[in-house]
Amino acid sequence: MKGFAPNFSKWAVASLFLSLLWSCQPEQKEEVQATAPEEILAPEEASGKFPYRRLSTYGFFEGELDQLSPSEAIIPYQPASSLFTDYALKSRFAYLPEGEKAVIAGEELNLPQGTILIKNFYYPSDFRNPEGERRIIETRLMIHEENGWQAYPYVWNDSQTDAVLKVVGAEKEVRFINQAGEEQVINYLVPNKNQCKSCHNKNESLAPLGVQTRHLNHAITFAEGSENQLAHWAKLGKLEGFLGKAAHPSLVNYEDQSLTLNDRAMAYLDINCSHCHRAEGPASTSGLFLTYGQKDPLKLGVFKTPVAAGKGSGKLTYDIVPGQADASILLHRMNSTEMGVAMPEIGRTSIHAEGVALIRAWINQMNYK
Amino acid sequence: MIRSLLFFSLTLLLLSCGSESNEQTFDSSNLRRATVEEVDALVEAFILAEDSSTIHIPAGFYELKTQLILDNKTAIRIHGDGMDQTVLSFRNLKSGGEGVKIVGKDITIEELSIEDAPGDGIKAQHTDGITFRKINVTWTNGDKSKNGTYAIYPVQCKNVVIDECIASHSKDAGIYVGQSEDIIVKNSLAFGNVAGIEIENCDRAEVYGNTARDNAGGILVFNLPGLPKADGRKTRIYDNDIIDNNHENFATPIGDGPNGNTVTMIPPGSGIVLLAAKEVEIFNNRILRNKTYGVAIASYQVTGFPAEAPNWSPYTTDISLHDNKYDRGPWSSLPDLTRELGQLVSIYNAHGWLKTQDIIYDGIWDESLATSIESNPMRICIQEPSFKNLRFTRFYLMEGEDKIDAFEDYAPFQNCKPFPVGLSSLPLLHSKAL
Repeated sequence: MKGFAPNFSKWAVASLFLSLLWSCQPEQKEEVQATAPEEILAPEEASGKFPYRRLSTYGFFEGELDQLSPSEAIIPYQPASSLFTDYALKSRFAYLPEGEKAVIAGEELNLPQGTILIKNFYYPSDFRNPEGERRIIETRLMIHEENGWQAYPYVWNDSQTDAVLKVVGAEKEVRFINQAGEEQVINYLVPNKNQCKSCHNKNESLAPLGVQTRHLNHAITFAEGSENQLAHWAKLGKLEGFLGKAAHPSLVNYEDQSLTLNDRAMAYLDINCSHCHRAEGPASTSGLFLTYGQKDPLKLGVFKTPVAAGKGSGKLTYDIVPGQADASILLHRMNSTEMGVAMPEIGRTSIHAEGVALIRAWINQMNYK
Repeated sequence: MIRSLLFFSLTLLLLSCGSESNEQTFDSSNLRRATVEEVDALVEAFILAEDSSTIHIPAGFYELKTQLILDNKTAIRIHGDGMDQTVLSFRNLKSGGEGVKIVGKDITIEELSIEDAPGDGIKAQHTDGITFRKINVTWTNGDKSKNGTYAIYPVQCKNVVIDECIASHSKDAGIYVGQSEDIIVKNSLAFGNVAGIEIENCDRAEVYGNTARDNAGGILVFNLPGLPKADGRKTRIYDNDIIDNNHENFATPIGDGPNGNTVTMIPPGSGIVLLAAKEVEIFNNRILRNKTYGVAIASYQVTGFPAEAPNWSPYTTDISLHDNKYDRGPWSSLPDLTRELGQLVSIYNAHGWLKTQDIIYDGIWDESLATSIESNPMRICIQEPSFKNLRFTRFYLMEGEDKIDAFEDYAPFQNCKPFPVGLSSLPLLHSKAL
């Protein structure tokens, strides 16, 4: 044995006695930290050099900032299915620079440099009245800069007058009443800047998820009425290459009860899992690929053993056991909030009961040999 | 004296909290606690790092609530003031799969400790040129079922160096290199893990000068099916101490038995395990006191899992085992009975019930290549100096559980030419790290 290794035996013996003393003691309770007082910031000039420290400096919204009333320069958008983020509601807008256009190239939607995607995360006080009183937690900006996309998380203050750039992330306790009238408390985690890429990752470059052709190729309600989003962008002179809805791929909304169970489940897995679980994503290591069009049973997890799942596997053997949702690791990890078990790894501290129910039903009706 | 002290301590441990090791390399509880501002500054330093810069983490105990992520940066050196001085604790981490995550090119991290990450300790992915030097990654939970998966975890990387590191108490592998190319793991220590060092679906790995002790399994070379990097080959394991790997397999709760993670099937008392491995040379190691076997040569079929995948073979082939030192330990150390492979050894080995084995071979061969194993179709080459004093068992498992048989005849595997592993040069490694 060479190098430094022989030192270990001395360390070991000395520390063994210490560790003996410690090893069996119960864990100490975590301290509760008081929330920091609201930050007071000096006013900021809109210099054109991003990122700004304050959300208000960008001038995306008109009137009171917390009304999120879009200025004419930004376009509201909604992807076909929505990523579950602890039941937060989201209002999303895209800003394309004056005179610039997005371009459809094959299945890709190329957004011009200078594009800013604006995603606001908020909770109504009572989900039975989603238009009523609400609290905005964070606004995430994705800015298409010279060297590619950058993500910037802005955390809203308690008086809801502005949001401040917080690259290290934050933690917020959120209380609301859910659809069933029950009071809920969620420990909402604003990701740190680099955690954004845990999801927004295509071949290790930051990339938008929702603003893609297939996610936008459906109608939503604009101020002027209902219209296909891509058609709307084209009409505004903000999109090139749109040849009508049928000419481009479109994803379905997993919440649409009129669709088949398989389509809904695949749409759910696509929007919630495939940003990592695809060949271009960070979870390619697992060999589990959950994109909408996935047809290979092994890649979908059918009788596939886990690779680096650790305690995520629980007592189970395969990612999916057809007909047996409760014996399937995929469902087990969706149905947990324990760190190291819960999937996705970030953005979820509560269980998405509706999502779990959908995937459970889907696995239970599966019939592979 | 040291031995008897150790024995006394271990006995105490056994009596006080079950048969697990909770040994810590040092005690981090006396270190100065970093302030909230210092912790935030550290998180920011990772986020705002510029290419060709250094991130220095001064001595102290840093309690992180968010991940440290270095994203797509080039030529960054991250260093602490020593593994017993700079400690990053992820005990209070609220989200994220690992404590520290690195993506980039030519990254070095050294001289610090990482504790108590809920998932993996430190993960590097898609990084060409990643060096871990003198880092210690561990868990301090008394209850090891709470520990994380991998301590040091490079995956889908190229030109990986792990040097003078310590990895302990992980629920899977302490040092786990996955789906990577051109790897050196040297002069490191792995203890108290389920697996000490694991090389999985990798090409060209050199593992030398390490100590793997008190794990359930010491050093593992696996190829698992269905992964983007399908079948790895060319691993050399030499000059290592692979000793006393008799720890409980705590990858699943004790008493629960294995799940779908292959490592959960490793019987305590495993020195080296080859599973669906290709082109592995194992020499000049000291393989001592591993109670079930010193070396296991196995095909993926022994797991019982589906053994078909594109560009991948379940067989272990082209193995050269030579000039290793073996010691089966005291008569009182009996092979494992908690895992199927342990039971196979305990009951069916060719030397008698409950006899520890030096080398076992599952004897599963590709029947499209040969009608019998006598011609050594999988090219398993064993040339140990005192082979006749070793306990060798070749099993016959080709017809299922009802017809298990075992043979001690090693001749078919002895008179063979050791194949040249022919590790290609590791240009980056040889110029920079060696």
